[in-house]
Amino acid sequence: MLNAAGLSLDQAPPIETPFSFFLLAPLFAIAAGGMLVWKGELILLSRWTPQALAITHLLALGFLTQVMCGALLQMLPVLAGAPVPGVVALGRLTQAALAVGCVALSWGLYSGHRVALMAGGTALLAGLLVFALVVAVALWRARGVPQTVVAMRLAVAALVVTTLLGTLLLAALLGAGVAGFQGWVNLHLGWGLLGWAGILIMGVGYQVVPMFHVTPAYPAWLTRTAAPSVAAGLILATLLTLMEQSTAIWALGLSIVACVLFAMVTLNRQFRRERPRIDTTLLYWWVSMSLMIAAALVWVLDGRDELIGVMVLIGIGVGLPTGMLLKIMPFLSWFHLQHRQVTARRFDLRLPHMGAFIPERLARVQFGVFALMLALLTLAAVFPGTGWGRGLARAGGVALILSSAMLWWLQIQCYLRYRRFSRTLG
Amino acid sequence: MGSVITDAFTQDHHRCDQLLAAAETSLGSGDWVAIAQVADALCTAMEAHFALEEGTLFPELTQVFRVAANPIEVMLSEHAQMRALLLDLTDAVAEHDKETCVGVLETLHFAVQQHNYKEEAVLYPMADGALRERAPEISDMLAPTDR
Repeated sequence: MLNAAGLSLDQAPPIETPFSFFLLAPLFAIAAGGMLVWKGELILLSRWTPQALAITHLLALGFLTQVMCGALLQMLPVLAGAPVPGVVALGRLTQAALAVGCVALSWGLYSGHRVALMAGGTALLAGLLVFALVVAVALWRARGVPQTVVAMRLAVAALVVTTLLGTLLLAALLGAGVAGFQGWVNLHLGWGLLGWAGILIMGVGYQVVPMFHVTPAYPAWLTRTAAPSVAAGLILATLLTLMEQSTAIWALGLSIVACVLFAMVTLNRQFRRERPRIDTTLLYWWVSMSLMIAAALVWVLDGRDELIGVMVLIGIGVGLPTGMLLKIMPFLSWFHLQHRQVTARRFDLRLPHMGAFIPERLARVQFGVFALMLALLTLAAVFPGTGWGRGLARAGGVALILSSAMLWWLQIQCYLRYRRFSRTLG
Repeated sequence: MGSVITDAFTQDHHRCDQLLAAAETSLGSGDWVAIAQVADALCTAMEAHFALEEGTLFPELTQVFRVAANPIEVMLSEHAQMRALLLDLTDAVAEHDKETCVGVLETLHFAVQQHNYKEEAVLYPMADGALRERAPEISDMLAPTDR
Protein backbone atom coordinates (compact mmCIF):
# COMPACT_ATOMS: atom_id res chain seq x y z
CA MET A 1 0.00 0.00 0.00
CA LEU A 2 1.25 3.44 -0.84
CA ASN A 3 2.09 5.73 1.94
CA ALA A 4 -0.45 8.54 1.88
CA ALA A 5 -0.17 9.46 5.54
CA GLY A 6 2.98 11.54 5.11
CA LEU A 7 1.21 14.14 3.03
CA SER A 8 0.01 16.27 5.88
CA LEU A 9 1.91 18.97 7.70
CA ASP A 10 0.09 17.98 10.89
CA GLN A 11 2.76 15.33 11.39
CA ALA A 12 5.70 17.69 11.08
CA PRO A 13 7.11 18.78 14.44
CA PRO A 14 6.34 22.33 15.59
CA ILE A 15 8.74 24.79 13.99
CA GLU A 16 10.38 25.43 17.38
CA THR A 17 11.77 21.87 17.49
CA PRO A 18 14.17 22.13 14.53
CA PHE A 19 14.66 25.88 14.99
CA SER A 20 15.93 25.59 18.57
CA PHE A 21 18.72 23.29 17.29
CA PHE A 22 19.46 25.58 14.36
CA LEU A 23 19.53 28.74 16.50
CA LEU A 24 21.87 27.33 19.13
CA ALA A 25 24.46 25.88 16.71
CA PRO A 26 26.20 29.14 15.63
CA LEU A 27 26.97 30.00 19.26
CA PHE A 28 29.30 26.99 19.42
CA ALA A 29 31.01 28.07 16.22
CA ILE A 30 31.47 31.54 17.74
CA ALA A 31 33.05 29.90 20.80
CA ALA A 32 35.34 27.90 18.49
CA GLY A 33 36.33 31.14 16.78
CA GLY A 34 37.12 32.61 20.18
CA MET A 35 39.44 29.69 20.94
CA LEU A 36 41.24 30.26 17.64
CA VAL A 37 41.78 33.93 18.46
CA TRP A 38 43.05 32.95 21.87
CA LYS A 39 45.17 29.86 21.13
CA GLY A 40 45.11 29.56 17.33
CA GLU A 41 48.79 28.71 16.91
CA LEU A 42 48.54 25.71 19.28
CA ILE A 43 45.38 24.41 17.63
CA LEU A 44 46.85 24.25 14.15
CA LEU A 45 50.28 23.10 15.34
CA SER A 46 49.04 19.65 16.33
CA ARG A 47 45.71 17.86 16.42
CA TRP A 48 46.73 16.42 19.81
CA THR A 49 46.91 19.66 21.79
CA PRO A 50 44.15 20.08 24.40
CA GLN A 51 43.05 23.22 22.55
CA ALA A 52 42.68 21.33 19.26
CA LEU A 53 40.66 18.56 20.94
CA ALA A 54 38.38 21.11 22.57
CA ILE A 55 37.68 23.12 19.40
CA THR A 56 37.11 19.92 17.39
CA HIS A 57 34.29 18.92 19.74
CA LEU A 58 32.81 22.41 19.89
CA LEU A 59 32.44 22.27 16.11
CA ALA A 60 31.62 18.58 15.61
CA LEU A 61 29.06 18.32 18.42
CA GLY A 62 28.01 21.89 19.16
CA PHE A 63 27.58 23.00 15.57
CA LEU A 64 27.49 20.05 13.16
CA THR A 65 25.70 17.38 15.23
CA GLN A 66 23.35 20.02 16.61
CA VAL A 67 22.17 21.01 13.12
CA MET A 68 22.06 17.39 11.95
CA CYS A 69 19.86 16.27 14.86
CA GLY A 70 17.44 19.15 14.31
CA ALA A 71 17.29 18.46 10.59
CA LEU A 72 16.71 14.72 11.13
CA LEU A 73 13.77 15.38 13.47
CA GLN A 74 12.31 17.67 10.80
CA MET A 75 12.82 15.24 7.91
CA LEU A 76 11.80 11.97 9.56
CA PRO A 77 8.02 12.40 9.53
CA VAL A 78 8.13 13.17 5.80
CA LEU A 79 10.25 10.09 5.17
CA ALA A 80 8.66 7.75 7.65
CA GLY A 81 5.12 8.83 6.95
CA ALA A 82 4.43 8.76 10.67
CA PRO A 83 5.15 11.17 13.47
CA VAL A 84 8.27 10.54 15.58
CA PRO A 85 6.93 9.51 18.99
CA GLY A 86 7.30 12.36 21.51
CA VAL A 87 9.24 14.52 19.07
CA VAL A 88 9.02 17.71 21.15
CA ALA A 89 10.28 16.05 24.33
CA LEU A 90 12.93 14.12 22.41
CA GLY A 91 14.14 17.35 20.81
CA ARG A 92 14.43 19.12 24.17
CA LEU A 93 16.19 16.21 25.85
CA THR A 94 18.63 15.66 23.00
CA GLN A 95 19.43 19.33 22.75
CA ALA A 96 19.97 19.79 26.48
CA ALA A 97 22.27 16.75 26.62
CA LEU A 98 24.11 17.82 23.51
CA ALA A 99 24.66 21.42 24.64
CA VAL A 100 25.63 20.66 28.24
CA GLY A 101 27.65 17.61 27.20
CA CYS A 102 29.52 19.52 24.50
CA VAL A 103 30.45 22.41 26.81
CA ALA A 104 31.55 20.07 29.63
CA LEU A 105 33.48 17.73 27.34
CA SER A 106 35.25 20.57 25.53
CA TRP A 107 36.15 22.20 28.82
CA GLY A 108 37.36 18.85 30.18
CA LEU A 109 39.49 18.17 27.10
CA TYR A 110 41.00 21.64 27.34
CA SER A 111 41.67 21.71 31.07
CA GLY A 112 42.01 18.01 31.86
CA HIS A 113 39.34 18.48 34.51
CA ARG A 114 38.19 14.93 35.36
CA VAL A 115 34.70 15.81 36.62
CA ALA A 116 34.01 17.88 33.49
CA LEU A 117 35.16 14.99 31.29
CA MET A 118 32.98 12.49 33.12
CA ALA A 119 29.92 14.78 33.19
CA GLY A 120 30.30 15.68 29.51
CA GLY A 121 30.81 12.09 28.47
CA THR A 122 27.81 10.86 30.46
CA ALA A 123 25.47 13.57 29.14
CA LEU A 124 26.52 12.91 25.55
CA LEU A 125 26.34 9.14 25.86
CA ALA A 126 22.85 9.27 27.37
CA GLY A 127 21.48 12.01 25.10
CA LEU A 128 22.83 10.70 21.81
CA LEU A 129 21.88 7.08 22.51
CA VAL A 130 18.29 8.00 23.41
CA PHE A 131 18.11 10.16 20.27
CA ALA A 132 19.53 7.36 18.11
CA LEU A 133 17.15 4.79 19.62
CA VAL A 134 13.97 6.80 18.98
CA VAL A 135 15.14 7.82 15.50
CA ALA A 136 16.02 4.18 14.75
CA VAL A 137 12.48 3.12 15.64
CA ALA A 138 11.05 5.74 13.25
CA LEU A 139 13.56 4.74 10.53
CA TRP A 140 12.69 1.09 11.00
CA ARG A 141 9.16 1.88 9.87
CA ALA A 142 10.22 4.35 7.19
CA ARG A 143 9.00 3.62 3.69
CA GLY A 144 10.32 6.66 1.85
CA VAL A 145 12.89 6.73 -0.94
CA PRO A 146 14.89 3.53 -0.23
CA GLN A 147 18.42 4.89 -0.82
CA THR A 148 17.82 7.83 1.48
CA VAL A 149 16.27 5.67 4.19
CA VAL A 150 19.21 3.23 3.99
CA ALA A 151 21.68 6.12 4.22
CA MET A 152 19.90 7.54 7.25
CA ARG A 153 19.88 4.17 9.01
CA LEU A 154 23.62 3.79 8.38
CA ALA A 155 24.28 7.37 9.51
CA VAL A 156 22.43 6.86 12.80
CA ALA A 157 24.28 3.56 13.35
CA ALA A 158 27.54 5.46 12.73
CA LEU A 159 26.48 8.05 15.32
CA VAL A 160 26.08 5.25 17.87
CA VAL A 161 29.50 3.76 17.04
CA THR A 162 31.12 7.22 17.19
CA THR A 163 29.56 7.86 20.60
CA LEU A 164 30.66 4.47 21.96
CA LEU A 165 34.20 4.93 20.62
CA GLY A 166 34.26 8.40 22.17
CA THR A 167 33.26 6.87 25.51
CA LEU A 168 36.07 4.32 25.20
CA LEU A 169 38.60 7.08 24.49
CA LEU A 170 37.31 9.08 27.42
CA ALA A 171 37.79 6.06 29.67
CA ALA A 172 41.37 5.86 28.38
CA LEU A 173 41.92 9.54 29.16
CA LEU A 174 40.60 8.96 32.66
CA GLY A 175 43.10 6.19 33.24
CA ALA A 176 41.70 2.93 31.83
CA GLY A 177 44.30 1.02 29.84
CA VAL A 178 43.50 1.07 26.11
CA ALA A 179 46.08 -0.37 23.71
CA GLY A 180 46.66 1.46 20.41
CA PHE A 181 45.10 4.75 21.52
CA GLN A 182 45.85 6.60 18.28
CA GLY A 183 44.22 3.91 16.16
CA TRP A 184 41.00 4.21 18.16
CA VAL A 185 41.09 8.00 17.84
CA ASN A 186 41.33 7.61 14.06
CA LEU A 187 38.36 5.24 14.10
CA HIS A 188 36.33 7.66 16.24
CA LEU A 189 37.10 10.40 13.72
CA GLY A 190 36.31 8.14 10.77
CA TRP A 191 32.94 6.97 12.14
CA GLY A 192 32.03 10.55 13.06
CA LEU A 193 33.09 12.42 9.93
CA LEU A 194 32.79 9.81 7.18
CA GLY A 195 29.98 7.79 8.76
CA TRP A 196 27.64 10.05 10.71
CA ALA A 197 28.27 13.26 8.73
CA GLY A 198 29.35 11.86 5.34
CA ILE A 199 26.60 9.28 4.97
CA LEU A 200 23.89 11.68 6.15
CA ILE A 201 25.09 14.26 3.61
CA MET A 202 24.71 11.58 0.92
CA GLY A 203 21.20 10.58 2.00
CA VAL A 204 20.05 14.18 2.18
CA GLY A 205 21.89 15.10 -1.03
CA TYR A 206 20.06 12.43 -3.06
CA GLN A 207 16.85 14.30 -2.20
CA VAL A 208 17.76 17.97 -2.04
CA VAL A 209 20.33 18.37 -4.83
CA PRO A 210 17.86 17.46 -7.62
CA MET A 211 15.07 19.33 -5.84
CA PHE A 212 16.87 22.60 -5.01
CA HIS A 213 18.33 23.32 -8.42
CA VAL A 214 16.42 20.96 -10.74
CA THR A 215 19.29 18.65 -11.66
CA PRO A 216 19.17 15.14 -13.14
CA ALA A 217 18.69 12.48 -10.44
CA TYR A 218 21.76 10.75 -8.99
CA PRO A 219 22.68 7.60 -10.95
CA ALA A 220 21.54 4.33 -9.37
CA TRP A 221 25.05 2.84 -9.31
CA LEU A 222 26.07 5.61 -6.91
CA THR A 223 22.99 5.74 -4.68
CA ARG A 224 23.07 1.95 -4.27
CA THR A 225 26.76 1.66 -3.45
CA ALA A 226 28.09 4.90 -1.94
CA ALA A 227 26.68 4.85 1.60
CA PRO A 228 27.15 1.06 2.07
CA SER A 229 30.76 1.42 0.81
CA VAL A 230 31.50 4.11 3.40
CA ALA A 231 30.08 1.81 6.08
CA ALA A 232 32.02 -1.20 4.73
CA GLY A 233 35.32 0.73 4.85
CA LEU A 234 34.62 1.79 8.42
CA ILE A 235 33.74 -1.75 9.52
CA LEU A 236 36.88 -3.11 7.85
CA ALA A 237 39.05 -0.49 9.54
CA THR A 238 37.44 -1.33 12.88
CA LEU A 239 38.13 -5.05 12.46
CA LEU A 240 41.75 -4.39 11.50
CA THR A 241 42.16 -2.12 14.52
CA LEU A 242 40.75 -4.86 16.75
CA MET A 243 43.36 -7.22 15.27
CA GLU A 244 45.96 -4.51 16.01
CA GLN A 245 46.94 -4.15 12.36
CA SER A 246 48.81 -0.94 11.58
CA THR A 247 47.24 -0.93 8.10
CA ALA A 248 43.77 -0.28 9.57
CA ILE A 249 43.77 3.38 8.57
CA TRP A 250 44.10 2.47 4.88
CA ALA A 251 40.82 0.56 4.96
CA LEU A 252 39.21 3.99 5.32
CA GLY A 253 40.36 4.52 1.74
CA LEU A 254 37.23 2.67 0.58
CA SER A 255 35.02 5.09 2.53
CA ILE A 256 36.96 8.07 1.23
CA VAL A 257 36.73 6.92 -2.40
CA ALA A 258 32.95 6.62 -1.99
CA CYS A 259 32.77 10.18 -0.60
CA VAL A 260 34.92 11.51 -3.45
CA LEU A 261 32.69 9.81 -6.03
CA PHE A 262 29.64 11.30 -4.34
CA ALA A 263 31.26 14.76 -4.45
CA MET A 264 32.20 14.42 -8.12
CA VAL A 265 28.74 13.22 -9.15
CA THR A 266 27.13 16.00 -7.11
CA LEU A 267 29.21 18.66 -8.86
CA ASN A 268 28.39 17.05 -12.19
CA ARG A 269 24.65 17.08 -11.39
CA GLN A 270 24.82 20.71 -10.30
CA PHE A 271 26.63 21.81 -13.44
CA ARG A 272 23.85 20.13 -15.43
CA ARG A 273 21.09 21.87 -13.45
CA GLU A 274 18.12 23.45 -15.22
CA ARG A 275 17.83 26.32 -12.78
CA PRO A 276 20.68 28.60 -13.81
CA ARG A 277 20.47 30.95 -10.82
CA ILE A 278 23.52 30.70 -8.56
CA ASP A 279 22.38 31.21 -4.98
CA THR A 280 24.35 31.12 -1.72
CA THR A 281 23.29 27.56 -0.97
CA LEU A 282 24.72 26.40 -4.28
CA LEU A 283 27.99 28.23 -3.56
CA TYR A 284 28.24 26.40 -0.22
CA TRP A 285 27.61 23.06 -1.94
CA TRP A 286 30.36 23.76 -4.50
CA VAL A 287 32.86 24.70 -1.82
CA SER A 288 32.00 21.62 0.27
CA MET A 289 32.14 19.14 -2.59
CA SER A 290 35.44 20.61 -3.86
CA LEU A 291 36.85 20.37 -0.34
CA MET A 292 35.77 16.72 -0.09
CA ILE A 293 37.87 15.94 -3.17
CA ALA A 294 40.77 18.18 -2.11
CA ALA A 295 40.88 16.76 1.44
CA ALA A 296 41.03 13.21 0.02
CA LEU A 297 44.01 14.27 -2.12
CA VAL A 298 45.79 15.73 0.91
CA TRP A 299 45.11 12.46 2.77
CA VAL A 300 46.49 10.30 -0.06
CA LEU A 301 49.59 12.51 -0.30
CA ASP A 302 50.05 12.09 3.46
CA GLY A 303 49.58 15.81 4.10
CA ARG A 304 49.10 17.45 7.49
CA ASP A 305 46.17 16.12 9.55
CA GLU A 306 45.49 19.63 10.80
CA LEU A 307 45.00 20.84 7.22
CA ILE A 308 42.53 18.02 6.56
CA GLY A 309 40.81 18.98 9.82
CA VAL A 310 40.32 22.59 8.69
CA MET A 311 39.04 21.52 5.28
CA VAL A 312 36.65 18.85 6.51
CA LEU A 313 35.46 20.05 9.90
CA ILE A 314 35.32 23.79 9.22
CA GLY A 315 35.01 23.87 5.41
CA ILE A 316 32.41 21.13 5.04
CA GLY A 317 31.21 20.64 8.63
CA VAL A 318 30.40 24.30 9.18
CA GLY A 319 29.95 25.32 5.53
CA LEU A 320 27.43 22.83 4.20
CA PRO A 321 24.99 23.07 7.14
CA THR A 322 25.24 26.87 6.91
CA GLY A 323 24.30 26.79 3.23
CA MET A 324 21.38 24.49 3.96
CA LEU A 325 20.13 26.55 6.91
CA LEU A 326 20.04 29.69 4.78
CA LYS A 327 17.53 27.90 2.54
CA ILE A 328 15.65 25.61 4.92
CA MET A 329 14.81 28.17 7.61
CA PRO A 330 13.06 30.63 5.25
CA PHE A 331 11.20 27.76 3.62
CA LEU A 332 10.01 26.24 6.90
CA SER A 333 8.95 29.71 8.10
CA TRP A 334 6.88 30.28 4.99
CA PHE A 335 5.53 26.72 5.01
CA HIS A 336 4.31 26.85 8.61
CA LEU A 337 2.83 30.33 8.15
CA GLN A 338 0.82 29.43 5.10
CA HIS A 339 -0.45 26.31 6.88
CA ARG A 340 -1.64 28.54 9.71
CA GLN A 341 -3.11 30.94 7.18
CA VAL A 342 -5.25 28.16 5.74
CA THR A 343 -6.33 27.01 9.21
CA ALA A 344 -7.15 30.57 10.32
CA ARG A 345 -8.75 31.40 6.94
CA ARG A 346 -6.90 34.74 6.88
CA PHE A 347 -6.56 35.04 3.12
CA ASP A 348 -6.67 38.84 3.41
CA LEU A 349 -3.07 38.74 4.66
CA ARG A 350 -0.20 38.56 2.22
CA LEU A 351 2.58 36.31 3.52
CA PRO A 352 6.23 37.30 3.17
CA HIS A 353 8.18 35.29 0.57
CA MET A 354 11.38 33.39 1.39
CA GLY A 355 13.66 36.28 0.43
CA ALA A 356 11.97 38.42 3.07
CA PHE A 357 12.94 35.96 5.81
CA ILE A 358 16.64 35.81 4.91
CA PRO A 359 17.63 38.32 2.19
CA GLU A 360 19.88 36.72 -0.42
CA ARG A 361 22.09 39.84 -0.50
CA LEU A 362 23.01 39.42 3.18
CA ALA A 363 23.46 35.67 2.77
CA ARG A 364 26.03 36.48 0.06
CA VAL A 365 27.96 38.73 2.42
CA GLN A 366 27.93 35.98 5.06
CA PHE A 367 29.32 33.55 2.48
CA GLY A 368 32.07 36.04 1.61
CA VAL A 369 33.21 36.24 5.24
CA PHE A 370 33.05 32.43 5.49
CA ALA A 371 35.22 32.04 2.37
CA LEU A 372 37.76 34.52 3.73
CA MET A 373 37.85 32.63 7.06
CA LEU A 374 38.40 29.34 5.26
CA ALA A 375 41.27 30.77 3.19
CA LEU A 376 42.95 32.23 6.29
CA LEU A 377 42.69 29.02 8.33
CA THR A 378 43.78 26.83 5.41
CA LEU A 379 46.93 28.93 4.98
CA ALA A 380 47.49 28.90 8.76
CA ALA A 381 47.30 25.08 8.72
CA VAL A 382 49.81 24.91 5.85
CA PHE A 383 52.33 27.14 7.63
CA PRO A 384 52.07 26.28 11.33
CA GLY A 385 54.55 27.51 13.90
CA THR A 386 55.67 30.52 11.86
CA GLY A 387 55.11 34.09 12.95
CA TRP A 388 52.63 34.89 10.22
CA GLY A 389 51.03 31.44 10.53
CA ARG A 390 50.10 32.51 14.05
CA GLY A 391 48.67 35.78 12.75
CA LEU A 392 46.68 33.91 10.09
CA ALA A 393 45.18 31.56 12.70
CA ARG A 394 44.11 34.52 14.86
CA ALA A 395 42.65 36.40 11.87
CA GLY A 396 40.87 33.20 10.83
CA GLY A 397 39.41 32.97 14.34
CA VAL A 398 38.08 36.53 14.08
CA ALA A 399 36.55 35.69 10.68
CA LEU A 400 34.94 32.52 12.11
CA ILE A 401 33.38 34.59 14.90
CA LEU A 402 32.14 37.10 12.33
CA SER A 403 30.72 34.59 9.84
CA SER A 404 28.99 32.59 12.60
CA ALA A 405 27.61 35.73 14.25
CA MET A 406 26.24 36.86 10.88
CA LEU A 407 24.63 33.47 10.36
CA TRP A 408 23.09 33.70 13.82
CA TRP A 409 21.79 37.21 13.21
CA LEU A 410 20.20 36.16 9.91
CA GLN A 411 18.58 33.17 11.64
CA ILE A 412 17.24 35.32 14.50
CA GLN A 413 15.81 37.83 12.02
CA CYS A 414 14.13 34.96 10.18
CA TYR A 415 12.60 33.56 13.35
CA LEU A 416 11.44 36.98 14.60
CA ARG A 417 9.78 37.68 11.27
CA TYR A 418 8.05 34.29 11.50
CA ARG A 419 6.85 35.06 15.05
CA ARG A 420 5.54 38.48 14.06
CA PHE A 421 3.42 37.08 11.23
CA SER A 422 2.40 34.09 13.25
CA ARG A 423 0.91 36.42 15.87
CA THR A 424 -0.92 38.43 13.21
CA LEU A 425 -2.55 35.20 12.06
CA GLY A 426 -3.91 34.75 15.57
CA MET B 1 0.69 -1.53 -12.95
CA GLY B 2 0.70 1.02 -15.78
CA SER B 3 2.25 4.43 -15.31
CA VAL B 4 0.55 6.45 -18.04
CA ILE B 5 -0.79 9.11 -15.68
CA THR B 6 2.39 9.24 -13.58
CA ASP B 7 4.56 9.66 -16.67
CA ALA B 8 2.43 12.28 -18.39
CA PHE B 9 1.75 14.42 -15.32
CA THR B 10 5.37 14.17 -14.13
CA GLN B 11 6.45 15.39 -17.54
CA ASP B 12 4.05 18.30 -17.25
CA HIS B 13 5.57 19.13 -13.83
CA HIS B 14 8.90 19.20 -15.55
CA ARG B 15 7.63 21.59 -18.18
CA CYS B 16 6.50 23.95 -15.39
CA ASP B 17 9.93 23.62 -13.68
CA GLN B 18 11.58 24.73 -16.88
CA LEU B 19 9.23 27.70 -17.24
CA LEU B 20 9.97 28.72 -13.66
CA ALA B 21 13.70 28.52 -14.34
CA ALA B 22 13.17 30.58 -17.51
CA ALA B 23 11.31 33.21 -15.50
CA GLU B 24 14.21 33.41 -13.03
CA THR B 25 16.70 33.74 -15.88
CA SER B 26 14.65 36.44 -17.60
CA LEU B 27 14.84 38.62 -14.47
CA GLY B 28 18.54 39.15 -15.21
CA SER B 29 17.71 40.85 -18.51
CA GLY B 30 15.81 43.75 -16.96
CA ASP B 31 13.49 43.71 -19.98
CA TRP B 32 10.12 43.84 -18.23
CA VAL B 33 8.10 43.14 -21.38
CA ALA B 34 9.99 39.87 -21.85
CA ILE B 35 9.80 39.08 -18.12
CA ALA B 36 6.04 39.60 -18.16
CA GLN B 37 5.72 37.20 -21.12
CA VAL B 38 7.69 34.41 -19.43
CA ALA B 39 5.88 34.93 -16.11
CA ASP B 40 2.59 34.79 -17.95
CA ALA B 41 3.57 31.53 -19.68
CA LEU B 42 4.42 30.06 -16.27
CA CYS B 43 1.07 31.13 -14.77
CA THR B 44 -0.85 29.73 -17.74
CA ALA B 45 0.97 26.38 -17.66
CA MET B 46 0.48 25.92 -13.93
CA GLU B 47 -3.16 26.97 -14.02
CA ALA B 48 -3.85 24.49 -16.86
CA HIS B 49 -2.18 21.73 -14.84
CA PHE B 50 -4.22 22.56 -11.71
CA ALA B 51 -7.42 22.78 -13.74
CA LEU B 52 -7.01 19.31 -15.24
CA GLU B 53 -6.24 17.81 -11.83
CA GLU B 54 -9.08 19.60 -10.04
CA GLY B 55 -11.63 19.24 -12.83
CA THR B 56 -10.95 15.70 -14.02
CA LEU B 57 -8.21 13.63 -12.41
CA PHE B 58 -8.99 14.19 -8.72
CA PRO B 59 -12.81 13.91 -8.93
CA GLU B 60 -12.59 10.71 -11.00
CA LEU B 61 -10.05 9.25 -8.61
CA THR B 62 -12.16 10.02 -5.53
CA GLN B 63 -15.17 8.39 -7.17
CA VAL B 64 -13.51 5.00 -7.59
CA PHE B 65 -11.05 5.20 -4.68
CA ARG B 66 -12.42 6.93 -1.60
CA VAL B 67 -9.16 6.66 0.38
CA ALA B 68 -7.74 9.26 -1.99
CA ALA B 69 -10.05 11.97 -0.62
CA ASN B 70 -7.76 12.99 2.25
CA PRO B 71 -4.51 13.37 0.33
CA ILE B 72 -6.43 15.13 -2.44
CA GLU B 73 -7.67 17.68 0.07
CA VAL B 74 -4.05 18.40 1.04
CA MET B 75 -3.13 18.74 -2.66
CA LEU B 76 -5.98 21.22 -3.20
CA SER B 77 -4.91 23.43 -0.33
CA GLU B 78 -1.39 23.43 -1.76
CA HIS B 79 -2.78 24.45 -5.14
CA ALA B 80 -4.37 27.40 -3.35
CA GLN B 81 -0.98 28.39 -1.85
CA MET B 82 0.70 28.22 -5.23
CA ARG B 83 -2.08 30.27 -6.83
CA ALA B 84 -1.51 32.93 -4.16
CA LEU B 85 2.20 32.94 -5.03
CA LEU B 86 1.41 33.24 -8.75
CA LEU B 87 -0.74 36.29 -7.94
CA ASP B 88 2.14 37.75 -5.91
CA LEU B 89 4.39 37.15 -8.91
CA THR B 90 2.04 38.87 -11.33
CA ASP B 91 1.79 41.88 -9.00
CA ALA B 92 5.57 42.08 -8.52
CA VAL B 93 6.12 41.91 -12.28
CA ALA B 94 3.57 44.68 -12.81
CA GLU B 95 5.43 46.80 -10.26
CA HIS B 96 8.82 45.96 -11.83
CA ASP B 97 9.98 44.84 -8.36
CA LYS B 98 12.90 42.53 -9.12
CA GLU B 99 13.78 41.60 -5.54
CA THR B 100 10.24 40.50 -4.76
CA CYS B 101 10.11 38.56 -8.04
CA VAL B 102 13.26 36.65 -7.06
CA GLY B 103 11.89 35.87 -3.58
CA VAL B 104 8.45 34.84 -4.82
CA LEU B 105 9.90 32.59 -7.55
CA GLU B 106 12.21 30.99 -4.98
CA THR B 107 9.26 30.33 -2.66
CA LEU B 108 7.16 29.06 -5.54
CA HIS B 109 9.97 26.73 -6.59
CA PHE B 110 10.10 25.12 -3.14
CA ALA B 111 6.33 24.95 -2.79
CA VAL B 112 6.12 23.29 -6.22
CA GLN B 113 8.93 20.80 -5.53
CA GLN B 114 7.58 19.45 -2.27
CA HIS B 115 4.08 19.34 -3.76
CA ASN B 116 5.22 17.51 -6.91
CA TYR B 117 7.18 15.04 -4.83
CA LYS B 118 4.00 13.97 -3.06
CA GLU B 119 1.91 13.82 -6.22
CA GLU B 120 4.50 11.84 -8.14
CA ALA B 121 5.19 9.41 -5.31
CA VAL B 122 1.66 8.90 -4.01
CA LEU B 123 -1.25 10.44 -5.91
CA TYR B 124 -0.35 9.60 -9.52
CA PRO B 125 0.56 5.95 -8.86
CA MET B 126 -2.74 5.69 -6.98
CA ALA B 127 -4.54 7.12 -10.01
CA ASP B 128 -2.71 4.77 -12.38
CA GLY B 129 -3.92 1.85 -10.29
CA ALA B 130 -7.52 3.01 -9.92
CA LEU B 131 -8.17 4.61 -13.33
CA ARG B 132 -6.39 2.19 -15.64
CA GLU B 133 -8.92 2.43 -18.47
CA ARG B 134 -9.29 6.21 -18.33
CA ALA B 135 -5.55 6.91 -18.01
CA PRO B 136 -4.68 7.49 -21.70
CA GLU B 137 -7.67 9.76 -22.22
CA ILE B 138 -6.94 11.90 -19.14
CA SER B 139 -3.27 12.15 -20.03
CA ASP B 140 -4.15 13.30 -23.53
CA MET B 141 -5.89 16.33 -22.04
CA LEU B 142 -2.53 17.74 -20.93
CA ALA B 143 -1.00 20.50 -23.05
CA PRO B 144 -0.06 19.07 -26.46
CA THR B 145 3.50 20.42 -26.21
CA ASP B 146 4.19 17.65 -23.70
CA ARG B 147 4.46 14.91 -26.22
